[in-house]
Amino acid sequence: MVDAPDVHGTEPAARYSDTIGKYVGVYVCLLILAALQFVIAFMGMDTTAKFARMFFIAVAEAGLALLFFMHLWAEKRGFLLFVVVFTGFVLLAMQYGWTDSDRMEVGAPYTQPKQGVVSQ
Amino acid sequence: MSQAHVIVHEHPPGMTTGLPPFSVAAKKMAIWLFIIADAATFAACLVVYGFLRNGSASWPRPFHSIVNVAIMTFILLTSSLTMLFGVRAAKVGDKAGALRWTMITAAGGVVFALLHIREWMGLIGEGMTLFHNPGGNPLFGASFFSITGLHLLHVTGGVVALVAVGLRYKNGRYNADDLEVTGLYWHFVDLVWMFVVPFVYLLNLA
Amino acid sequence: MHEMASQAHVAHHGPPTSFIRKYIFSLDHKVIGKQYYGLAFISVLIGMFLSWLMRVHLGWTNAKIPGLHLLSPSGAPGDVMTPEYYLQLMTMHATLMVFFVLTTAPFAAFGNYFLPIQVGAEDMPFPHFNMMSFWVTFAGFLALIASFFVGDGPTLGGWTQYAPLSAVGSVAGPGEGMGVVLWAISIGLFCVGQLLGALNFITTTLDMRTKGMSLWRMPMTVWGWFITSVMGLTAFAVLMPACILLILDHVAGTSFFVPSNLVINDQLQPHSGGSTLLWQHLFWFFGHPEVYIAIVPGMGIVSHVLIPNLRRPLLSHRVLIYSFGALAVLSYMVYGHHMFVSGMNPVSSIAFSFPTLIITIPSTIIVLIWLASLYGSRLRINSASLFALGFISMFITGGVSGFFLAQPSLDIMLHATYFVVGHFHMVMAVAAMFGIFAGTYFWFPKMFGRMMDERLGKLHFWLTFVGAYAIFMPFHYLGLAGNIRRYQAFAPDYMQRFIPVHQFITIAALITGAAQLIFVYNLVYSRYRGAPAPENPWEATSLEWSTPSSPPPFDNFGGQLPVVYHDPYQYGIESSTGDYVMQTSPEQIKSVRDEA
Repeated sequence: MVDAPDVHGTEPAARYSDTIGKYVGVYVCLLILAALQFVIAFMGMDTTAKFARMFFIAVAEAGLALLFFMHLWAEKRGFLLFVVVFTGFVLLAMQYGWTDSDRMEVGAPYTQPKQGVVSQ
Repeated sequence: MSQAHVIVHEHPPGMTTGLPPFSVAAKKMAIWLFIIADAATFAACLVVYGFLRNGSASWPRPFHSIVNVAIMTFILLTSSLTMLFGVRAAKVGDKAGALRWTMITAAGGVVFALLHIREWMGLIGEGMTLFHNPGGNPLFGASFFSITGLHLLHVTGGVVALVAVGLRYKNGRYNADDLEVTGLYWHFVDLVWMFVVPFVYLLNLA
Repeated sequence: MHEMASQAHVAHHGPPTSFIRKYIFSLDHKVIGKQYYGLAFISVLIGMFLSWLMRVHLGWTNAKIPGLHLLSPSGAPGDVMTPEYYLQLMTMHATLMVFFVLTTAPFAAFGNYFLPIQVGAEDMPFPHFNMMSFWVTFAGFLALIASFFVGDGPTLGGWTQYAPLSAVGSVAGPGEGMGVVLWAISIGLFCVGQLLGALNFITTTLDMRTKGMSLWRMPMTVWGWFITSVMGLTAFAVLMPACILLILDHVAGTSFFVPSNLVINDQLQPHSGGSTLLWQHLFWFFGHPEVYIAIVPGMGIVSHVLIPNLRRPLLSHRVLIYSFGALAVLSYMVYGHHMFVSGMNPVSSIAFSFPTLIITIPSTIIVLIWLASLYGSRLRINSASLFALGFISMFITGGVSGFFLAQPSLDIMLHATYFVVGHFHMVMAVAAMFGIFAGTYFWFPKMFGRMMDERLGKLHFWLTFVGAYAIFMPFHYLGLAGNIRRYQAFAPDYMQRFIPVHQFITIAALITGAAQLIFVYNLVYSRYRGAPAPENPWEATSLEWSTPSSPPPFDNFGGQLPVVYHDPYQYGIESSTGDYVMQTSPEQIKSVRDEA
């Protein structure tokens, strides 16, 4: 395929004056957040609590990577909204099934409180 | 513009003119769309894993050490940084620098893949495979190898893409925009790893 | 304004020279569109043939079908279909129809051919992806057809391939081993093909529009394809890993979808820990958007065909577009209404039932806009507009039964009956087929430069229209009376009474199917002997009627990209050309509604 000149010519020049310092700053933040996940792994709490904290941090990491490494912050706001809202919606819509997962061990829907399934 | 074409500025630009609504060129748009679709693919795999893990009373916790996964995470994150350097160099016209950083990124990917394969070999040596696992639910092996396998496939594809695009950038067939598009993919592979590490590794520490 | 800044010339490829480049591995979106149409055409013929076999078997239990043993010696010993073979044919009928006809023809075939033309582009931005998209889909088709000839035949699990029977291998019945693997490979490939297609469609719509072609100036067809590709992008992306996991369950001994302690045919299965509902969640997360992937392009085509024949715009194009969008959004939130009787948590049933009832609102708005626009109009009656009307009729009839099925309490009674079969055949299958026919009659002059025979077209319409009702309306009554679906014979006493109805349906199906030969004849005859098409046979305004020739040259507009000045549907006005003005005409007009 032959190259596409960016005929729209609307690439904001500012993006590529992004400094190395900014990249390194975000990178260090990501390293710290990743390290935090490892720390949580060794904290004495049940799996659900660990999961919640790790998930929160992972989302924060993903946000940083999306906004600054993948330059979403420098794109038009409409594009940012499209990517985030659309993807977020689809990923959320995928979560309907969880109540059936809870029932794999205990059987029928309301028979008994779930025990020993999450908190191992 | 013609006399008949009266623009009423009541909509975002793309709705009233022929300009792309997001001012994102086709190739970049395509890679973002791919990333969205791929995010759904990985999310489906992680949901499968979570669904089965949550529903299992005897989920195994086979990982004794975090050293290997920590090193892998560090390498992948760093390779994202070097990718950024590469794209930035290309954008400011530093062709040699761009090529160098791209190849360093690819090298990072190779090291990551090698470490990953070494880890796989270790686990297989302990008796864990797709369909078997020494203690507890065999689905651990199934979901672990599927998810990390899918990720490893993405890393491998990324390395090939980086080398191919880098070489074509060198001989002038591709430009800085193509490097940026490849970079977007590489960052996405990194982003997925940020979810794989906590859920697949860290929640299953012995 | 950036003058002439709106064309992203990503795709530059010269006219093809060799035969292979021109007709087989072509990069031209028009050829790829025709290839998709051909694939759908072959698939629909096979699918229809399979349905005939099944109908004969249902109407006359254990009837001899001469020559059937040639198709499958083990599936039809002595030319009598075995129960398993009936299910295998049912599965193949559904898979071929849903994937390779209803998705392929209105979306991939017409979309490929007309989307770039209608937005004023030379081609799609990624013609190589486009070519791959078709050939990957074709490989999927071959894998599916191959399962007829491998081992003990194709899978019998239904197009939904419900676990665990689909995941345990041949112990679950003929075709459940290799047949399922081939099915999963086929559908996995199909997903890849449609993902590549969706990438192209979306980027074409957003980035390749010609000067003046704002989003609001895109024809309804383009909106339909665009919204469909956005749905397809994520829906197929979830089905693909599901297929891969299903294959792993077969070939790698995993048990994602097989629960512990499962006994099939007196054999304890060597699997444990999986979940059967997990497959259904993954499958229907794709499966429900898929229903709209099949129907929304049809809605776009119907609107696009109706408007030039109405000679005036629809009541509101914007509301129609918003309704398409609402369908797309809601389609992700309703998938569980396919699972009301699956053993899913009843709380989820309520969570799925509510959006399912909501989704009837945009559907109703769309229908009301069509009906209200038809009211008091002087519709030009031709084959294309008749089929568009037929689409609306089928969509209403099938949609009304959807109100019943959306409610879990009623669905529990109706789900396993022919009521559901009647419902989805009306609202999705036949409606979408009518959309394909409308599109074919409307665009044939553009695609081949010749007119189709109108008399044959109208005959084809009336036979198909009456036939479709004769086939599928009785299904609803059968279902209400308690006729179970997926049965190959109706042995219980209370179902014996239904057999005459089934015989009626079978005869109707044979006649309606035979009526399609008129269409095939019309298609082939008109391709070579049809009257030469005038430049703009329907006096339509959109860009496909501004190309220099029919069929358009390889770069669509002969090197000179059009400039767009108007909304696509400027009819019922006064202009120098009559009661309409082309999108490309710079003529100043008194604007009608929706002129952006």
